[in-house]
Amino acid sequence: MELQTSSLADVRVLELAGEVGSYAGKLFADLGADVIHIEPPEGDPTRMSQPFYKDVPSTEGSLQYQHLNTSKRGMVLDITTSEGKEIFLKLVKTADILIENEPPGYLDQLGLGYSQLSSINPKLVHVAITPFGQDGPYKDYPQSDLVCMAMGGFLYLAGKDEDKPSRVYGDQAYMMGSLYAAMGSIIALYHAEATGEGQFVDVSMQECVSTALENAVQYYDLEGIIRRSLVGAEAGYGTYPCQDGYAFVMAAMGKNRYLWDPFIDWLIEEKVEDAEILKGNDWLDPAYRKKEASIQTFKRIVEPFLLKNNKMFLYEESQRRKCCVFPVSSPKDVYENPQLQYRHFFKTLYHEALGGEIHYTGAPYEIDGIKWELSATAPVFGQHTRGILQDLEYTPEQIKSLEKEGVVVVK
Amino acid sequence: MSNKMPLEGIRVADFSWVGAGPITTRFLSEYGAEVIKIETKSKPEILRLTGPFKDGIPGIERSGYFSNRNPNKKSISLNMKSPKARDVAARLIEKSDLVINNFRPGVMERWNLGYEDVKLIKPDIIFVTMSMQGSTGPHSSYMGFGATLNALVGFNHLSGFPDREPFGTGTNYSDHVAVPTHTVFAILAALRYRKKTGKGQFIEVPQSEAAICMKPLAVMDYAVNGREQMRMGNRHPDAAPHGVYRTLGEKRWIGIAVYNDGEWESLKNVMGNPQWAQEPKFASKEGRLANQDQLDSMIENWTCGQNGKELMEKLAANGVRAGMLLDAKDILEDPQMQARGHWVYLDHPEVGVSAYSGSPVHMSKTPAQFKMPAPMLGQHTEEVMKEVLKMNDQEFKNLEAEQVFI
Repeated sequence: MELQTSSLADVRVLELAGEVGSYAGKLFADLGADVIHIEPPEGDPTRMSQPFYKDVPSTEGSLQYQHLNTSKRGMVLDITTSEGKEIFLKLVKTADILIENEPPGYLDQLGLGYSQLSSINPKLVHVAITPFGQDGPYKDYPQSDLVCMAMGGFLYLAGKDEDKPSRVYGDQAYMMGSLYAAMGSIIALYHAEATGEGQFVDVSMQECVSTALENAVQYYDLEGIIRRSLVGAEAGYGTYPCQDGYAFVMAAMGKNRYLWDPFIDWLIEEKVEDAEILKGNDWLDPAYRKKEASIQTFKRIVEPFLLKNNKMFLYEESQRRKCCVFPVSSPKDVYENPQLQYRHFFKTLYHEALGGEIHYTGAPYEIDGIKWELSATAPVFGQHTRGILQDLEYTPEQIKSLEKEGVVVVK
Repeated sequence: MSNKMPLEGIRVADFSWVGAGPITTRFLSEYGAEVIKIETKSKPEILRLTGPFKDGIPGIERSGYFSNRNPNKKSISLNMKSPKARDVAARLIEKSDLVINNFRPGVMERWNLGYEDVKLIKPDIIFVTMSMQGSTGPHSSYMGFGATLNALVGFNHLSGFPDREPFGTGTNYSDHVAVPTHTVFAILAALRYRKKTGKGQFIEVPQSEAAICMKPLAVMDYAVNGREQMRMGNRHPDAAPHGVYRTLGEKRWIGIAVYNDGEWESLKNVMGNPQWAQEPKFASKEGRLANQDQLDSMIENWTCGQNGKELMEKLAANGVRAGMLLDAKDILEDPQMQARGHWVYLDHPEVGVSAYSGSPVHMSKTPAQFKMPAPMLGQHTEEVMKEVLKMNDQEFKNLEAEQVFI
């Protein structure tokens, strides 16, 4: 590996973000950009989010806050005050990107909308993430992750047949909004650097979610069919109990036999009762596998075998046999996964204020010559306020008075 | 409006197929990159063979699954098994800025088109590989699919009802957003670096690791607190009621999320302040969290006879976070999605006009562009050979006769 350098060290990102948007800033920060996470005096709401370090609620202890804000600087600033606005505008002059998740029109009301910001910094890329976008009939609807997942069409897919759907873990509408915002930010940055032209980037979480519907929209558009989840809808494709939890079996794949045959041969080799039944050519026909009787037969034959074995054995042995049984991993399984352990995927950092180590996910990508690093734990409330104000040439007396007036919080 | 797109002049030699790879290059194409998709007529990729198909009639040019992932791209048919194909691929790479694949580790190397080979052809190339689980480690050569990956990284265990088996998302979720957006971010970081230093990069995106970054809290909670989080249906650790409730009609539901006492008061008002909701046990968030079974069943009694859309509008007008569960038809017709101009309709020679997802990222000066429908297999072979590789007619015909382009 060649010597790694920071690709984004000369980029400054301002962030008025919480659960939505902070992950976009994290992607910049972990590649070396100067990301300033600006919180209101009442704090980033993510700080209140469970679970907490050692289960003790505290301003710094939220694992969600810690995860989303690695490698950033933090500032507490009340942008609704006139002095706060002035400070914010001075920062905007120095910034390449602003990422925010305020309701549509809110920053305009404060005199801090894109038209104002771009007039002082035409190269600025201003990225706004909102539930429904900046315009349209639902733009002011109250939102939550659940609402975005519902209105984005994703939640409907999360169930089969008539079943009530269940929500995917981990506020994924917020994550999708943040990821699309990150992508839009860096593309627009690349453009601004080439042309001197900044722009406004309007990200709708409903639309983000709607890009994750697989082929559901096309099913309706081309065939008039409204689909839902296909998992478990046919024999040999879905979740089955095993000795220590559940395994995900993928033997069925259209009319292909290349996953089916080695799996059934394995059962036969293990002398699983009636396994020969599954050898019939009928089983390579999706329509046959979708019959309730087929689903039950497969289950009756396969389950006793799976229940005798643990998920890691089933996984590793199936791969050796060129078939596909995966573990349905619990959080513990993920943490202890031998592949992830071998690759040292999880990272730890010592957090001084909490007095202990926090475990983080590692890099989502490896770029040969570009350094990815968790360079610091998430900023303590107000940690960098003073330094940032000093960079803007505020004197210690001025900082003291801003603090007294409640415009800033200095740690 | 700008007269130049952000990625104009960037050419992508796209060896990727099926899911996360093609979605990545779709994004690049929306912002101006020229994406040349390398396929082969001798073995069309699996999505071309997978429905839905126009009018339900199978055909390699009729799949909506394939088309939605591949607008704006050019397709060349190149049979890598033919001895001269490697040279054609190398010439294309020489004219490209980016090479991308999502094969298992080793496939590009077998063609002598691994990063070390490609770097000799084009020293400042950005080479992207999206392996399932990374190229090192005991499971690096394991095969897998979107559906199995979601089980492996923990989405399934954590998503579903607690009294039922693990469910997941009902889709190959990580393919659609997690992996492609992360990959584009890495590519842009590398492009920016190349612009400054003239150097190319090798980028590896292990799909499992990019997916875990979407949902790390349960793993962090285990590592730090020793707790094993469990799936909780539609509930939320910090909000109640928080659920999906039946409304009038078949397979019709509404999602309602109440985060604080003020929102609970608003919901009670919309419900007409029924007696049961006045019980003191529901007055605080702690009380509501502790009594969710009763809460959910009473709310569902109230929602199940009502029209979902009207109910959503009434709740939203009163400050309650609520959203109907839109199905595919609903979302194509949704007034908000339409007002945003989200859906893009492109005209394909065999399919005709059909719906594609637009971009959720609305850029004021360089909006995402959708210039062409998904390509027919090999539609642009001749064009690319002659215009990009500068082949003369004779050379093209010779290679064609040698079955290089099947």
